[in-house]
Amino acid sequence: MTASVTRRAWLRGIIAAAVATAFVGPAAAQQTLKFGLAMPLTGSQSSFGKDQIKATEWAVADINAKGGVAGKKLEVIVLDTQADPTIGINAVNRLINVDKVPVFVTAWSAVVKAVAPIANREKVLELSIGANAPEISKLGDYVYTAFPLADVDLTALATYTGKTLGHKRVAVLYANNDSGVEAAKVYRSVFEKAGGQIVAYETYDPKATDFTGMLLKVRTANPDFIHLHGLVADMPIVIAQMRQLGITQRVSTYAGGYNPQMIEKAGKGAEGLIVTSLAPDERQNPNVGPYIERWKKAENRIPNGLPYTQYLYDAAYLVAALYEHLEKNKLPATGENMRKALLAVRTFDLPMTGKLTINDDHTVRKPVNLLTVQNGQFVPLTTVD
Amino acid sequence: MFELPILLQIGWTSLATSTYYVLFAVAFALTLKVAQVWNFVQAGVMGLAFYAMYAAMLKWGWPTAAGFTFGLAVAVAAAVASEVWGYRVLRRRRSPGLLLFIFAIVVAEFVAYLLSLLFGTEPQSLKKSLVSEVHLVGGVAITAWDLEALGITIAACAALAFYLRRTRQGQFMQAVADNGELAELYGISANRAYVIAMAIAAILVSIGIYLYGTRASMIPNAPLELILLAVIATILGGIGSLAGAAISAVFLSVLQSASILVIPSQWQSSLTYVVLFVVILFFPTGFRLPAWMAAKMRAR
Repeated sequence: MTASVTRRAWLRGIIAAAVATAFVGPAAAQQTLKFGLAMPLTGSQSSFGKDQIKATEWAVADINAKGGVAGKKLEVIVLDTQADPTIGINAVNRLINVDKVPVFVTAWSAVVKAVAPIANREKVLELSIGANAPEISKLGDYVYTAFPLADVDLTALATYTGKTLGHKRVAVLYANNDSGVEAAKVYRSVFEKAGGQIVAYETYDPKATDFTGMLLKVRTANPDFIHLHGLVADMPIVIAQMRQLGITQRVSTYAGGYNPQMIEKAGKGAEGLIVTSLAPDERQNPNVGPYIERWKKAENRIPNGLPYTQYLYDAAYLVAALYEHLEKNKLPATGENMRKALLAVRTFDLPMTGKLTINDDHTVRKPVNLLTVQNGQFVPLTTVD
Repeated sequence: MFELPILLQIGWTSLATSTYYVLFAVAFALTLKVAQVWNFVQAGVMGLAFYAMYAAMLKWGWPTAAGFTFGLAVAVAAAVASEVWGYRVLRRRRSPGLLLFIFAIVVAEFVAYLLSLLFGTEPQSLKKSLVSEVHLVGGVAITAWDLEALGITIAACAALAFYLRRTRQGQFMQAVADNGELAELYGISANRAYVIAMAIAAILVSIGIYLYGTRASMIPNAPLELILLAVIATILGGIGSLAGAAISAVFLSVLQSASILVIPSQWQSSLTYVVLFVVILFFPTGFRLPAWMAAKMRAR
């Protein structure tokens, strides 16, 4: 009898605990303010993706260490996109339908574009941070970028090449992918408008290993300068083969080339390479120095694509600011309210990249830092506003 | 664009680049000829060889020769294992050819997945710097890598030809390739011939992947794409013909590089698929000389 009572007591206890969990569970879950992060954890772009995720996770930890947002913890849910649109769609569907996030951050132009219809349909705020295809600004009401699009740094680069360096004949080489095709168009348009001439305009398969034919076309065109827009996996190979074929002209590329792997793999061929950076360096922002030191201490290296990681660090602060607005105005955390918050706050003061203003045309503007490779190191060249 | 130095440069560089395709194609054609399997496991063997060399040379700091030997040993062990514990078991069960094909694809995909778990998916190469020393000969840039790749490939193909024609075991392999059951009646072990064919193919792909890895970057999925060209070359060269596969690989490499002279660069990558389509549709048994021409050559 005693045993039976005990069993019943146990059973009651278990049921009571289950019921309590059912009610308390959601209440506890509400204490965390979730946002999604859909980035390449695997695949050829993972070296960038992993470092960007780490930066966001550090920022979330830093925000929570200082008390979170209005006393609530910020939580980031990370899913892999492999920088592939199809996998990106799966990841975002899960973030919206399973994890119920009202806002998510993603990157890589093809992924940003592929998931935009889902964000618009489900009325969930999509923040593109790192992708730079110009049409990202036209993807719909719920898609915003917090990263300057290709026209910003490529305009600065093409203008600098024509006006400051005085080059009139430029060859443009680009990887046959969304980012490469769009960026090459922007560069060509800006450079030609400035009175320059594009003497070779060639695309290549980023998975190829031999670029001789394309490079010989460039050699025949005899440009003053070469602009290259590819991925960090293929650009050093293109530069190495360029130098082997006796093409000695100076080369420029976008922020994707601001990566130690470029110098390591292209060796002396990378000397003189001009790259862009859309984030301030340690001279321009006192927070950047300690941030780089943190990387060196934690990972014993500088992150792949340092400026991108600065933006992804700030992504958490941007989302925190949106949540803070909702909490202050006692608004529920929906995608619609997130969008309203973004437009209401509009200007954000972020720790790594400074002031960010969301423009009405869904773009942002930033000063462009140009760096060059000198004696195997990236050194500052100039800043173009 | 059609000046002689440019044509010579494209010809030379694409010939040098074709070296690893030649080795992959000959290896693929050899296993198809002897063991009669579409050996997509070869993609997995390529991946294992590359990452074993990568780990030995760049992670553990072994000298190049030791690192290469380690990769070669891993590749041969994997290839022999796939024959003994894979294909042989399926043959003994009299499994249909389709099952062998599916087995090969599954193994190749599994190895790529395993390698991405172990080594990540960042592009890696076998040398820190991909820049090679250049010599200008008559306006044509010849790199140290080009010379090394051509020398090694010619030596490997010559050694294979010698082995198949001049050694007893090589002749046994030819006999098994012609008629396995008949060869067994004469006391030749077909199983032994299959194992040796797999091991030789592994040696060839190890050399090929070393050349590839010292010129370009590699990710775990890359061998699955590299093997596509080996398959096209094998079909185009005539199934069963190792020389045909080698010549086709050179032809495809030169065609892909030279095509940029006549077609826009964005179409260049699709050329492989166009060739595959044409080959399957019009030359399913490979490109052969017309009967009258072949007879005339035989008469000579």
